[in-house]
Amino acid sequence: MSSERRYTPTHEWIQSLGDPSLMRIGITDFAQKEITDVVFVELPKIGKKVPQGAEAAIIESVKAAFSIYAPMGGEVVAVNSAIESNPALVNSDPYGAGWIFELRVDDPAQWNSLLDEKGYQALLVSGTGGGH
Amino acid sequence: MALPLVPYHIKRLARMTDFHGYLLPLSFSSILEEAKAVREAAGLFDISHMGHFLVKGPGARQAINRLITSDLEAVPLGKSLYGLLPNDSGGTVDDLILASSGEEDVHIIVNAGNREEDFAWIRSHLPPSLALLDLSIGQIALALQGPASQRIVSLLSRGFETMGRREVRFSIDSSERIWVSRTGYTGEDGWEFFGPAEAILPIYRTLSEKGPDLGLVQAGLGARDLLRLEMGYPLYGQELTPEKTAFDAGLDFAVNLRKASFLGKEQMLEKMEDPERERLTGFVLTERGIPRTHCPVIDPSTGRQVGEVTSGGHSPRVGGGFGLAYTDPSFFKDFLKGKEAGIEIHGKIHRARFSSRPFVPGGLTKK
Repeated sequence: MSSERRYTPTHEWIQSLGDPSLMRIGITDFAQKEITDVVFVELPKIGKKVPQGAEAAIIESVKAAFSIYAPMGGEVVAVNSAIESNPALVNSDPYGAGWIFELRVDDPAQWNSLLDEKGYQALLVSGTGGGH
Repeated sequence: MALPLVPYHIKRLARMTDFHGYLLPLSFSSILEEAKAVREAAGLFDISHMGHFLVKGPGARQAINRLITSDLEAVPLGKSLYGLLPNDSGGTVDDLILASSGEEDVHIIVNAGNREEDFAWIRSHLPPSLALLDLSIGQIALALQGPASQRIVSLLSRGFETMGRREVRFSIDSSERIWVSRTGYTGEDGWEFFGPAEAILPIYRTLSEKGPDLGLVQAGLGARDLLRLEMGYPLYGQELTPEKTAFDAGLDFAVNLRKASFLGKEQMLEKMEDPERERLTGFVLTERGIPRTHCPVIDPSTGRQVGEVTSGGHSPRVGGGFGLAYTDPSFFKDFLKGKEAGIEIHGKIHRARFSSRPFVPGGLTKK
């Protein structure tokens, strides 16, 4: 995927799969390092409707449980079943094979409320990120 | 509080965490990988946060023996002993490792979070003729743990590899007031080192530089906690508290009722008679989930809460989620006999069954 990736202050990333209403979601490299060894992921049910900012999945690591919030509102249309059998993919390839779920988004304008790469990096530098 | 090895950990890009006010490595690479390395080869832990006391003077052994649950006077000099320090209501001030270096010298290793309280408690119960020294300030303490430890400790060329299990030595070259013991908190063979930074830093350097050739990895608190939980060892503040006794935590082996009386003994025995007292049990989940401290334990037949998880985690060696929990005595009895328990995690009930401890065979418990 070559389209732009955007971020949340709670360390999720979101990226279009070509169709601007179809988005893939995962956690950032920073988040996977903070979370440490992912042991399993509680994936949302396909068809579940999640408003922007609502809890959509739970990542359990050796250290603790972390909520994954929907960066945009929409309906869950796919989940990454590969991370159910191999949760370490979230650590080893957070932007690729370690993606978590896909959404059919309700309101493409919510994209504009998300952080771009520069904004997210600035957030990491200032250390004001929350959530995880 | 900054401990001496922090700059070394930061240089190794360790993920640091706060533990009772001390900045310590949580992990260097992966908690699971570090724990695996300790079970299969060896790991090096920075435990400089732990306390090291010295009690000095005539009758030191006897005076300390009056404060602890196990029998220090029955243990030869230079051999370590596990024991609990009860409070005056029979609960627990701390759990300790002790050893005498002479008739008038008792060394005590205490938990980081209890160091000041332990010092005050012990001081207030010792005769003024005895000195109590806190040797921890500025110290470095290390734990080398794992089946490869004996080969690795021989890299130090100090003959430590010939030490027996639980043996303690109290000097390195001209440095006195040292603690080097063949002990640990992981269930594996290993050594622990306590002493002034200038005495222990060379040991850290040699082990860090040459140990990796023999399979040694740097390991953090995450792996340490997982390894101790796999063995079912208690952690003060979780399984042991000012209210809980050694009996509640299933540490009967650490209580000697035949030795000369000790402070808190009568109150401990009174608490043991309480029909309502909660009991610590091991459990494993039979479905996917990770129990954490404070998760409620539910009786599936009534839906009523019958206990609380004190420590929980996930281990590939145990085969999933597992932990320790305090439960009501009536439920405890049924649970031991095979009744299922529910552990509430994120609002959902996960099924669990009883497990004896240790949850996995450590190197020291393997037949």
